[in-house]
Amino acid sequence: MIHVLIFLPMLAALIMALFPNRLRDEVATFAAAATLLIGVWIWVAGGAALVSVPWIPALGVTYSVALDGVSLLLSLVTAFMSLVAVVYCARRVQSPGTFLALILAMETGLLGIFAARDFVLFYVFFEDALIPALLMLAIYGKQHRMAALLKFGAYTLFGSLLMLVSIIGYRWLGGSLTFALTDLLAHPVTGRAQLWLYLGFLAAMAVKLPLFPFHAWLPDFHAQNHDSGVADLMGTLYKVGAYGLFRFGVSLFPDASEQLRYPLMALAAFTALYAAWIAFRQTDWKRLLAYAGLSHMGLVGLGLFSLEPTAMTGALYLLAFQNVYTGALFLAAGMLAQRVGNQNVQQGGVMTQAPNLSGLTMSLWFASIAVPGLAGFIGEFSVLLGAYQVSPWLAFIAGLSTIAAAAYALTAYQRTYWQVRPPGTVPAWDLRGSEWAVLGAPLVVAVFFGVYSGPALNLIQPAVRALGGLS
Amino acid sequence: MTFAPPDVPLAPLLPILIALLGAVAATVLGFFLPRRAVTWIGIVALLLSAFSMGTLWNSGASAFAGSLRADNVGLAFGMVIIVGALISLLVSLDGAARASLSFPEFDAMLLYAVTGCLILAMSGDLITLLIGLEVMSLSGYVLATLQARNAAEEAGLKYFLLGAVGSAILIYGIALTFGATGSLSFAGIAAAISAPGFANGVLLGAGALLMLCGFGFKVALVPFHQWTPDVYSGAPTIVSIFLSTVVKVAAFAGMLRVFSGALYTAPAWPIIMQLLVIATLVVGNLASLVQRNFKRLLAYSAVAHTGFLGLTLLADPRAGGPALVYYLLIYTLMTAAAFAVVALIQPDERGVEVSDLRGLYYRSPALAAVLAVCLASLAGLPPFAGFMGKYLAFQAAFQHGFVVTTVIAALSSVVAFVYYLYPAALLFIPDRTPAPLPHTARRFTGPVLAVAVVGITALGVLPNLAYAWLANPADWQIQASK
Repeated sequence: MIHVLIFLPMLAALIMALFPNRLRDEVATFAAAATLLIGVWIWVAGGAALVSVPWIPALGVTYSVALDGVSLLLSLVTAFMSLVAVVYCARRVQSPGTFLALILAMETGLLGIFAARDFVLFYVFFEDALIPALLMLAIYGKQHRMAALLKFGAYTLFGSLLMLVSIIGYRWLGGSLTFALTDLLAHPVTGRAQLWLYLGFLAAMAVKLPLFPFHAWLPDFHAQNHDSGVADLMGTLYKVGAYGLFRFGVSLFPDASEQLRYPLMALAAFTALYAAWIAFRQTDWKRLLAYAGLSHMGLVGLGLFSLEPTAMTGALYLLAFQNVYTGALFLAAGMLAQRVGNQNVQQGGVMTQAPNLSGLTMSLWFASIAVPGLAGFIGEFSVLLGAYQVSPWLAFIAGLSTIAAAAYALTAYQRTYWQVRPPGTVPAWDLRGSEWAVLGAPLVVAVFFGVYSGPALNLIQPAVRALGGLS
Repeated sequence: MTFAPPDVPLAPLLPILIALLGAVAATVLGFFLPRRAVTWIGIVALLLSAFSMGTLWNSGASAFAGSLRADNVGLAFGMVIIVGALISLLVSLDGAARASLSFPEFDAMLLYAVTGCLILAMSGDLITLLIGLEVMSLSGYVLATLQARNAAEEAGLKYFLLGAVGSAILIYGIALTFGATGSLSFAGIAAAISAPGFANGVLLGAGALLMLCGFGFKVALVPFHQWTPDVYSGAPTIVSIFLSTVVKVAAFAGMLRVFSGALYTAPAWPIIMQLLVIATLVVGNLASLVQRNFKRLLAYSAVAHTGFLGLTLLADPRAGGPALVYYLLIYTLMTAAAFAVVALIQPDERGVEVSDLRGLYYRSPALAAVLAVCLASLAGLPPFAGFMGKYLAFQAAFQHGFVVTTVIAALSSVVAFVYYLYPAALLFIPDRTPAPLPHTARRFTGPVLAVAVVGITALGVLPNLAYAWLANPADWQIQASK
């Protein structure tokens, strides 16, 4: 079942070309929905156990996949948001066939990242997701896409190739026979070598977390992507650095994580505050969202690097659900752009013409700025609570970003949706048809997991505890 | 005194003889048959040669007392050579007329070159190696000049002059090595070096370095690469397909035989080779970055790939050998396919400018998709096989202690990614003023491209299809122990 989950979207992306144009969005929607259902089924069944078969026996590369705990939660979120993206894209983009195929192809890469339990397989899926992301930007991007594309690609590859060297090194120096995670854990690398290998691995994860100063690709990537925000949503889901650090980083490099705990926490805290500060100055919704996302990821990083169970749990919770509401906010920005023609925050008065769009957007922003009762709050609060016990000052600095978040979000929101609509502008229409579901469903998720965190915590906590022995 | 008949079994010679027969047939029948018929004869000869190699697999046969070895190493390289040659011939069926190369001498020369390549790949001593190399090179020079055009003649002359210098240096190296070890056969040299009391270290080291320089010219290691971009971009595109793939495969086969086999324990060359590989990686990739002509970019990318391929020669042959053949197979498929696409879309033999690739996806979706796959694979992105090649090369070098070199290779791959990504992304960016594509025949190129793309993808997803055949360490315990 787990293999179907991973490869069904890719298969659908490939066979979509066989269908006539008008049927392609149905095929894509069906495939995305089926993937989500299979994911839920695996969840109900209590996860998917480890399957491991040799892939390149002579080299010890295996095809090992499993879905449990954190991986399962993130896979479910990915499948859910991919469905949302497909539904919105099918109605928003003209002749969406290629776009939908790319979304689905990317979904396979992302699900594979979460399911992989082999270091080389992880790398393969990690890079797999890159190609559709690049193609989306190349085909549907805006005027200055080429610069954004090269930056995005070069940053990603810079990190991941260093990671590849680390992967090769870890098995060789540890003496493991295969790259399967269980084998690598049984043959750890220790001492200085571990630190160097961790730095190589960290390079990839820092780019994809992202962490200052490896974040420079992010704002351009979002600003140059298609107005609909669909590609941005997929890009948000692709920020898997935190997951990689949790799954491979902390377990394979325990001593190095411990050694670098404070420097990395400081970097993460700085990222959170710095991004929030820059977000305040943005006049473009997508750039603002890019920096807001970066700020959140700083908090996620803070939680993970602190190695404190509460903070790690909170970080993973935040990671999972910021995908939901940040992703939905990108789509909301896309809807706004469709109505007023650009992404500028100084529109004024959209609320009077499109009250429902404005209301749902505001609620999602509340989730994003961690208003209690919405999913963002639980994550951010746990991160800060846990990080405080490790380093009060760094937690305090990072905590400032949540205040800043309210400032930048509400200022921008006010300029766009409140105030007076300038005379002579095109009237903005309100939500129509499926747009309700596109914004509503993520909001329902954000509210549900803001009030009732149990199901998600049940997935995260055992995984965090399993890391064991961590203070 | 008893008469000892020479050791000349027919079977190990068959792959070479069949290719040679094809070449002779092409030469003679060219007077009586149209060119296409001659090409088909060549294709059949190549297929038969490949078949005979298949039957020799695992036989470990040899002829002329070990001077010619049809062992799995030689056969594996031979298969890759045949793949590249087949692609060249099939693509030439479509492109030769346009390049005014549609005469049987083209096929004859190509088949002579293949014969030389096979001799080189199966060589068991330095003389056989040299004969193969010269047959291959001389045919190659002719191929490069075959077209009556200034650029092609310039390319051919450059190729000839620098190639001749390279050969001369190589021969000098062979002479010194022979002087130091008293043997020409790879096994004999290896035995002499590892024998106790071996005293000619300096002479041997000098010989090894001279041979390294000579081979450096043939495979385009920096700083011996200067001819490469001019020749690959000056020669007709269908010839560039052949020169950049088959000739390079054969030259690497020779290098592996010499350095990972005969001279594996010899002094001095590993450190110099390491420096050359690093220089090749850095220079090749940085120079590609500034190319504006796509054909020239592919030429520089061929230099850069020499660097990645060179990593495998630094490694233990048991890991490096299979990695090298696998990488060369993939390299052949993706480079040949990329050049083949250029042959289809180029307005003339200067190739296409990178900026002209803009929006190709909207003019010819299939060609753009093929080119994008090739570029992604050249850049080393999974799931395409180029990634596996790079991974194997990195791993082989890393495991032999060349950690810094591997890290430099990884970083230069980032540069490589940028110059592959730029044209690849341009393919998909709409063009407001598209130039019309030339009307070119695609009857044979189309299927070749399809097969290449399937191969690149399949070998990337299931590398074991090819790698399992190659991975037997005993095959690569090179001649040294035999």
